[in-house]
Amino acid sequence: MKLTDTKPDQHGLIRRIGGDAHFANRITAIGLTEDTEFQMVRNDRKMPVLIYLRETLIAVNRTDAERIEVETV
Amino acid sequence: MKTRIALLGQPNSGKSTVYNALTGSRQHVGNWPGKTVEKNDGFYTYKGTKYTVTDLPGSYGLSGNSDEETITADFIRSGQADLVCILVDASQLERSMFMVAEFAALDKPAVLLLNMMDVAKAQKKEIDFKLLQKRLGIPVLPFTAADGKGYGELKELFARELEAPHKLSSVPESADNGSSAQAVLSQSQEKYRWIGAMLEGVTHTAAPEYKLSKFDRIATSPVKGKFLCLGVVLAAFLVAMIICVPIMSVAQMIPQILFEPISNLLNGWNVHPWLVSVFSMMLPNVLYFTLSMAAFVLGVNLAFGFLEEIGFLARAAYQFDGVLSRLGLQGKAICPVLMGFGCTIGGACGTRIMDNWGQRMLAMAVVWAVPCGAIWGVIPVISSMFFGPVGTLLVCLLILCYMVLMMWIVSKVFGRTLAPSETRSGMIMELPPYHKAHWKHILREAFLKAWDIFRRALGTVTLVSLLFYAFSFSGTGSIENSLLYRVGTAIEPVTRFFGLGWQTFMAFLSSAFAKEAVLGVLNATFVGQSSLLEATFFSKTAVQDNAALAVNMVQSISKPEALAFLFACTFNVPCVMALSTTYRESHSLKWTARVALFYIGAALILACIVYHVAVLFM
Repeated sequence: MKLTDTKPDQHGLIRRIGGDAHFANRITAIGLTEDTEFQMVRNDRKMPVLIYLRETLIAVNRTDAERIEVETV
Repeated sequence: MKTRIALLGQPNSGKSTVYNALTGSRQHVGNWPGKTVEKNDGFYTYKGTKYTVTDLPGSYGLSGNSDEETITADFIRSGQADLVCILVDASQLERSMFMVAEFAALDKPAVLLLNMMDVAKAQKKEIDFKLLQKRLGIPVLPFTAADGKGYGELKELFARELEAPHKLSSVPESADNGSSAQAVLSQSQEKYRWIGAMLEGVTHTAAPEYKLSKFDRIATSPVKGKFLCLGVVLAAFLVAMIICVPIMSVAQMIPQILFEPISNLLNGWNVHPWLVSVFSMMLPNVLYFTLSMAAFVLGVNLAFGFLEEIGFLARAAYQFDGVLSRLGLQGKAICPVLMGFGCTIGGACGTRIMDNWGQRMLAMAVVWAVPCGAIWGVIPVISSMFFGPVGTLLVCLLILCYMVLMMWIVSKVFGRTLAPSETRSGMIMELPPYHKAHWKHILREAFLKAWDIFRRALGTVTLVSLLFYAFSFSGTGSIENSLLYRVGTAIEPVTRFFGLGWQTFMAFLSSAFAKEAVLGVLNATFVGQSSLLEATFFSKTAVQDNAALAVNMVQSISKPEALAFLFACTFNVPCVMALSTTYRESHSLKWTARVALFYIGAALILACIVYHVAVLFM
């Protein structure tokens, strides 16, 4: 499932990060890599998603968040 | 002898705090050669030796995602720094160590600063920094940049390491050195694996379990959060006003106190009247304007410094990113834009929170379109003379609508160069935890900034005032003898086309000097009681006879002319103090002038359109 499909307070693992090398650079530099554990904090319509991972609250805009495949646990 | 230090760190790592604390006011701001990225150099002296410090642009990595990252990597690679001080956030050690992993490939001498130890301690996090130091092979120093302590120890560490430097003894390895997306992903994964190995037993990274605080639940909610942000920014603006008003009212007395003694003194020496009025009227007013401006900058920096330090600005950025990204701006720009309703100077210096120069300049250009508090004081007065109360409300609404359009036009015209589409990527940012405010640090930075603006703007404002002065000076005191009148009446046939007569055109010109001057100049030109000079320079203190103005103005100009004039003044370039602040904040005369010329042109075209359309209906 996509990152944008998870519900608040759901935990999961990042499975696959799509997009180009530029995006891969940006998203990994802030802490999202494949196999990282995360918690969805806020997922409101038309707002960037808020996720918590590596002890950091991170906002990711929806277009980019849709490129991230996750697996909930 | 090696004395060059560079500071490297992610946004929110406290890099600029360390930079400012080390160098104080001994700073130089320039641009990286050929790039619109700000270069900050400063220096300090320790035990008789002068050390230079370069504050490298903040970014999350060094892989060349942006100009900032390329510049930073090239700078370090070229060996222009003898020692790189890497700052990481001790409260989010695993994630912020990514910068160390990126730096490792460059193989240069470094020290590691574990900043925000106070936050880490408050979270009951223990960090075995000695073990980390052993593993990395470079010195590791626990630090709290904002509390102002420990800088002696830091300088001592720098001095020692410059003499006998250390390089990282362990670096992340990667099997795939390509630059494809897949290669980047596996390299990054390798880097985090390396970080994990370095931090094994050094600290414990908790499993993700997060609960938004009550306040943050509101601050991040889609609708309530926006209102909350607007409210907080409004409150910050009020606080800024409360801080600057007392200073302004003291400064306001300067022209009145100095006017008589100076003019009496100079008249006694038989100095030419032109010079007398320059020294007795203009210069004290310039001092007053510049002091007020510095007071405002102080207030804004205190209020916004506070919001930034406690971590609230990141929430505002999160809320407004969607709207502002359409203008090519980051969400953070909401603060300077709202600030612009109060004062364009405040808006312009509020753009210092933007991440890079292009964003900052674009935000300033957009903020200029927001009518400031002073012009909001003029619009209703003139508008009600012609259109009555209901009409005035409509005029204000029209102005607000056009403001949105103008912001869009400006972003279209300048956005392509200042924020090229390849740099406009969707928001991926950290919302830092709320911090306690370090007041000493906030105060220090705000005072430094205000003093800096005051010192630098004094010259610019004097020069522009002198120019305006020369144009509006009249030997006899009546307007007909001033250069401005002659030029104004000579080009009236042209300005008529834009819907402006010579009087309103003159007021239009003076609105670029100080928005408050508009009423005074209209008084001087229509009623003819006071001189143009006094009208402009005593505009903030003089009492206006608006009733007389209403009678004379309504007789002399038509409704379409009045409407055209209102629009032209509102969307003209901001006042000279705001121009000067923009120049000081952007460090680019070229761009300030470019945007200013665009605004003057756009205001005249707007006046022309409004006039010719209004003529059809009125």
